[in-house]
Amino acid sequence: MQINERVVPQGIILDVVGDLTYANRGVFKAAVDKAKSAGCRHLIVNLEKVRFIDSAGLGLLVLVSQNLKLIQAQLSVLKPQLYVREIMSLANIPKMIPIYDSEDAVSGARAA
Amino acid sequence: MNSNVTEPIGQAGESSAQPEAAATILLIEDELVTRTSMAARLRRLGHRVLEAENGLVALDVARRERPDLSIVDWMMPEMDGPTFCETVRRDPLLKSSQLLLMTAHDQPAQIAEGLARGADDFLSKSASKQEIVARVLAGLRASRLVRKLETTGNELESSLLLLKKQQAETEADLQSAAAFVRSILPPQGSPAQGIALAWEYQPSLMLGGDLFGVMAIDADSLGLYILDASGHGVAAALRSASLMTFLRAEHMLQLLGSYDPEKVLTEANQRFPLSVEGEYFTLWVGQLHVPTGRLSYASAGHSGALASLAHGSLRWLTRSSFPLGFDPSAQFPCDYVDLQPGDRLFLLSDGIYEVPSPSGELWGRERFQDVIEGAKRTSLSATIASCFSQARSWQQAQFFSDDAAVVGLELAGGSEGGVNG
Repeated sequence: MQINERVVPQGIILDVVGDLTYANRGVFKAAVDKAKSAGCRHLIVNLEKVRFIDSAGLGLLVLVSQNLKLIQAQLSVLKPQLYVREIMSLANIPKMIPIYDSEDAVSGARAA
Repeated sequence: MNSNVTEPIGQAGESSAQPEAAATILLIEDELVTRTSMAARLRRLGHRVLEAENGLVALDVARRERPDLSIVDWMMPEMDGPTFCETVRRDPLLKSSQLLLMTAHDQPAQIAEGLARGADDFLSKSASKQEIVARVLAGLRASRLVRKLETTGNELESSLLLLKKQQAETEADLQSAAAFVRSILPPQGSPAQGIALAWEYQPSLMLGGDLFGVMAIDADSLGLYILDASGHGVAAALRSASLMTFLRAEHMLQLLGSYDPEKVLTEANQRFPLSVEGEYFTLWVGQLHVPTGRLSYASAGHSGALASLAHGSLRWLTRSSFPLGFDPSAQFPCDYVDLQPGDRLFLLSDGIYEVPSPSGELWGRERFQDVIEGAKRTSLSATIASCFSQARSWQQAQFFSDDAAVVGLELAGGSEGGVNG
């Protein structure tokens, strides 16, 4: 798995490439910690190039979301592929973490 | 034998070239005058010098004393220098010795032969005092490095043996734990009159985090569950065993007064919060009233169960819901399905269908459904075995990257099959 960080007006986008799974949790945690230490208030995880997420990956997203809320920050998910979206829906993740289909939609939602 | 051991006797003359520490040098030379003169010079450098008149005698001394450096004359009776070098290189105890071959004729061909037969360096008999000192010191430096490497190698070997021993103990513990976990899984056969049960389970590691249960609640009802701990390995297995203990029928009846799936999940949701590492469970719970075939069920984020109806289609028994511990106020409402004789119910972990092909494409739920649908006419155990064999075939590997479990129940009355048929 590879993660590239982009600073955008809405916050920080983490472009994830590869599977978000138990085996890759360390890489993801490190990227999140780096964004948090940079003072990020809105972390956007771009899952466009993630084909699979397992239960551990899902747990990480929820944990990050809860931890960000504690510091009045937010986690959003961007453009998950169909199968990843199904897995997230099964676990009711959209009720906990906003999911957007474009970067414009993220900024629109924040502005609203 | 003309070998003797003498303590250092002074450091005059070559004292400017003192080694870091006194070393033991074996001097092998048949000419008494040359040997005595060289021995005296080495002793003045502060070394302990052992003397031997030929290679044969020197071998005994070397095996007994393990000198730091051997200075060997080429021409000697009984055993000459090159033969001594060859013999040393073949001896497991001595083969790393530092050997300095002395010769009166330092011709390139002779040097090449000496090196080929095991010498580390050469010393001309006509060498200056400075050259002798320099070559001896160089030989001793090499000797110290080799000895250090040998010591380090021995220590590494000891550590490796210790690690292997500890690993064997850990594996024995894990096998014991795995055997225990398998022993508390439901026995295959008939958990209630008119119900057949078969299952197959393959943890991704020795201990798995996906576990399941089928147990009598009362005279008419079976309690069913399948749980999936996020993550893998021993930690996940231990957490699963803890939830498994919580889900025992007698515990639920004592705590809740029933095995109502909604109540079970609501209670479990309070007891098993999301850990600080993001670990959690998904859980599917059902209660089957055997006389009527009515199944009540609820899910906490689990991919759920699949009903294969004898005279109908397949039906997934799940709905979107939070896994355990995501939201303390989460609700887990019950759904119902009335199963008929011949119907089958499969509880499964996602590890059975989330298997990638070598190109990365997942086998997926649809292909899993196709196997269940296509195997309706085969026995329950054969249907489950087919799921595993086709998943393995898809991934072109015997073992799964996640825990894989399929539990099948069949209501008696179908025209074909049976739990072992």
